[in-house]
Amino acid sequence: MSLGRVNSIGSVDIAISGLRAESRRMDIIANNIANAQTSRTETGQPYRRKELVVSTDDDLLAGVRIEDVVSDKDSPFRHVLMPGHPDADDQGYVEMPNVSLPREMIDMVTASRAYQANAAILKRYQRNVDVTLELLR
Amino acid sequence: MAAINPISGGVGHVPRPTADLQKSGPGEGGNFSKTLMDVVNGVDDKQQASHTAMQDLLTGKTQDVLPVVMAVAKADMSFKLLIGVRNKVIEAYKQTMNMQV
Repeated sequence: MSLGRVNSIGSVDIAISGLRAESRRMDIIANNIANAQTSRTETGQPYRRKELVVSTDDDLLAGVRIEDVVSDKDSPFRHVLMPGHPDADDQGYVEMPNVSLPREMIDMVTASRAYQANAAILKRYQRNVDVTLELLR
Repeated sequence: MAAINPISGGVGHVPRPTADLQKSGPGEGGNFSKTLMDVVNGVDDKQQASHTAMQDLLTGKTQDVLPVVMAVAKADMSFKLLIGVRNKVIEAYKQTMNMQV
């Protein structure tokens, strides 16, 4: 442990990057849930659920990096029978976003648990530094 | 500062080239105080960064709380380290001064 730079400070950066990524994930999930019934966007199509893409530098301990937010283009839109709806087609079906609430809920639990895990890491690093400094006494 | 120069060899965990260690004889010094000043400045920088981050958050300049957490954690840890080393140095100084000559 050098004086100018505590060893674990790198670990603080890593834990913070994890916290940032998970809180971004929570933002995206919130946005998906908020738009679960959004039948029209600027493109004329319903809202597509968004997903977070994260990356890292493989050979460095650089933490996680938020790479991109992408639309889920694979899962199909839901078709709901709502004849009076302004966006309904000839048969009275409205295309609804490909957001599935149970899935978003599960993702939310995962994201918030991961956030807590990163916070626990940060806390534990600080405790480790304290334990190390106890050796000086 | 000149008074505690002779103990500079005793602080073994301060990273420093061996050549410099041999060069600085008793009374010559300047090396230990320079190392100490560098460290204090480093810790001070972190304290300033933590202060600025907190101020930015409180004045609404930034909404992100994570940089504040990071800056405060770093400042806290390096300050604790500085305090630990200072206590050790003071203790060594006291023991040296209490020595019967």
